[in-house]
Amino acid sequence: MNLSSLGNHVERFGLVLVWLAVIAIFGAMRPDTFLTWSNFSSIFGSEAVLVIVTLGLVIPLTAGDFDLSIAQTLTFCSMLTGLLSARVGIPIEAIIPIALLAGAAVGVVNGAITLYFRVHSLIVTLGVGTFLHGITLWMSDSQTISGVERALMNYVIIYRIFGIPVSFYYAILLAALVWYVLSYTAFGQQLLFTGRGREVGRLSGVAVGRVRMAAFVASGVMGAIAGILYTGTTGSANPNSGTTLLLPAFAAAFLGATCIKPGRFNAWGSVVAVYFLVTGINGLSVLGFRTYVHDLFYGGALVVAVMVSQLVSGRKERTL
Amino acid sequence: MSEAGHPRLAIRGLTKSFGGVRALSRADLTIMPGEIHGLLGKNGSGKSTLIKILSGFHKPDEGTLEVDGTPVALPIPLGRSEAIGLSFVHQNLGLLPEATVLENLIAGDHERIRPWFIDWSAEAARARRLFADHNLDLDPWAVVADLSPVKRAQLAIVRAADRVKAHNASASPGLLVLDEPTPFLPIEDVRELFAMMRALKRSGVSIVFVSHDIDEVMEITDRATVLRDGEVIGTFETATSDRGRIVEAIVGRSLAQGRLVSDAVAAPPAISVRGLKGRMLQALDFDVAPGEILGLTGLIGSGYDEVPHLLAGAQPAKAGQLEIDGRVRDLVGLEPTAAIEAGLVFIPADRQKQGLALDLTLTENAMLPLAAGGRGRFWLDHGQREATTMDLIRRFVVKAQAPRQAASELSGGNQQKLLLGKWLQLVPKLILLDEPTQGIDVGARREIYDRLFEACARGAAIICATSEFEQLEMIAHRVLVFERGRVKAELRGSAVTKSSIEQACYGETKVHEPF
Repeated sequence: MNLSSLGNHVERFGLVLVWLAVIAIFGAMRPDTFLTWSNFSSIFGSEAVLVIVTLGLVIPLTAGDFDLSIAQTLTFCSMLTGLLSARVGIPIEAIIPIALLAGAAVGVVNGAITLYFRVHSLIVTLGVGTFLHGITLWMSDSQTISGVERALMNYVIIYRIFGIPVSFYYAILLAALVWYVLSYTAFGQQLLFTGRGREVGRLSGVAVGRVRMAAFVASGVMGAIAGILYTGTTGSANPNSGTTLLLPAFAAAFLGATCIKPGRFNAWGSVVAVYFLVTGINGLSVLGFRTYVHDLFYGGALVVAVMVSQLVSGRKERTL
Repeated sequence: MSEAGHPRLAIRGLTKSFGGVRALSRADLTIMPGEIHGLLGKNGSGKSTLIKILSGFHKPDEGTLEVDGTPVALPIPLGRSEAIGLSFVHQNLGLLPEATVLENLIAGDHERIRPWFIDWSAEAARARRLFADHNLDLDPWAVVADLSPVKRAQLAIVRAADRVKAHNASASPGLLVLDEPTPFLPIEDVRELFAMMRALKRSGVSIVFVSHDIDEVMEITDRATVLRDGEVIGTFETATSDRGRIVEAIVGRSLAQGRLVSDAVAAPPAISVRGLKGRMLQALDFDVAPGEILGLTGLIGSGYDEVPHLLAGAQPAKAGQLEIDGRVRDLVGLEPTAAIEAGLVFIPADRQKQGLALDLTLTENAMLPLAAGGRGRFWLDHGQREATTMDLIRRFVVKAQAPRQAASELSGGNQQKLLLGKWLQLVPKLILLDEPTQGIDVGARREIYDRLFEACARGAAIICATSEFEQLEMIAHRVLVFERGRVKAELRGSAVTKSSIEQACYGETKVHEPF
């Protein structure tokens, strides 16, 4: 192995190594609370929602668009699931397609406004997300809705494989799907050129408008999946559940773009980044730090991630 | 104080070299008070170097400059030219379209506008007086983007005149340098601009008018100076000079390049364009045959460079139809996808924005037309994509290390060859080239020509829009020369030479009506 390919490997797996180092440090400090299988299986299970939100962001980010509404899509679909199950009494297998359609509809609205009026997606999705949160608060009367059908919890957090809740495996399956689409399909290439060379892509026959619309719809559906799982994880729907997930998801998406496939938003990098971040937070809270470390850690990670990715690529700034 | 008899501007022996190449060689130029003086010359003749020395952008190697008899130390510090009495209007006019007329008028006027408070109503009143003085119908509160092109040009000129008047350390009316302000204006508007220039002249302002258009220079200027290959060829009294002599001074004698293609194409035309209209182009008709290389050229603003963009769907056409293999397509609303499907490929001049995504890999770039067409919808065969790219790299002689390296790591010439490979692998019927060898060295050029000749031999037609006349002499079977959006001359076979194209470009024309 020559020096430059060694450097390549360090770059690709750098974050994995840092993650392992973090585990080793916290493990050495608190071996009996931090370094236990039950602690890790609960991290893996409960943070599956964050993994899915991050994966949802990666798709429009690759196409050069931001979806700031994804966290509120999650909350909305979570609330929709909670209300339809607990108040209306619709069986969960009928609720899931409804929630997924609602997520797709949010994507269509984001895409239509961004594309038709040529407004930056950052602004459109910020507005749509806030609007959606308003609807969520309205329909729930700002109350947490509990009493969701037990089956949902069973299939999200109760059933376990190798001691890890099934929700983790859903997230891994979705990561594999996103990885496949981005790396092994023509659509993945179309997304990439739409983000990195929109005019080059358009002149080469990529229908950039349709690609961007598809990316918004995909992130809307991912937000909906995350919302359903959120309700399943807690057994209830909280009208503010998604709000705290947006920043961690962005931090993980950008941090993920510094590893596995450095310089590109990618699925496995995002998964590694999410678990690196939540491991760090879990470790710090085991050491006795209060909740303010969440903000310190996530905010710091986002800034460090974009700084590192600038240094790593060393090229033109990623256009926002 | 400007004393009678002193020229407004006197340049002597101005010389500037770039890396051993003389861009300007002992140039002399004298401009009198109240004179409109034309500056003529081809691309690379030294005009821009001269202007950039005047604006303080370049430091000359030798030479002196006097304004109203007072020697000026060179180089002129950037931003100080107005104090000396020089002001510039460049082709892009330097206006911010989203801002108002008034905001543009005072932008950067640090000497008069206080940094902590702007009295907008006083400034608006001042602007109204200024516009009234110049007989301009401009509203200070209008947004520049809503103005017609000629109004924008007038605003830029009045701003320059105002600056030089307000900031000139002496009381002289100053000198305006208008660098190609006209090529994108229709003739009526050029006339309006000329009226404004004459009024400025009457108030004592001197004007240097840089243009490619000999007729405009003949019309508006008192005298004109011709530059060629960095040297002043001569200064002419335009009223008494023969147009032919000026053309000869601009063009000079050029050596034949030697043609690389035969003179005639046997095949009948298979592709025809009818009624093509763009921003500058006015109802263009032409045909092109399989195996033929059709050159399109003209001076700046003549519209020839729009043709490849319009046919490829890169830029919207206002009207026009394309017939290819007996099938007629409307060019209005043509999407690039439809153009590619019809067998057209477009190799743009702007490689960075339109040609290649430079931070992506060679394979991703080269295979994009296939992926965009849906190849690998469910499974991208990365091995095969890399093998195909390697094959293209070999066939198109791209000097590259690996198909996975970023396109930005290639030199300009190799990027262009990769771009050629990206598109020629589709075996197109019509290849649209826009300045195909811009910024590319001689060796790579020859390789690019060879690939084009191979495509021709296979039956592709080629349209090459370029401002490099030598290139057309070498590779074009036929050339259309444009002026103001129309074809002015057609040259065929052995008549396609650099000098005949130059003659056609600068020659007298039937299209250009007299003022």
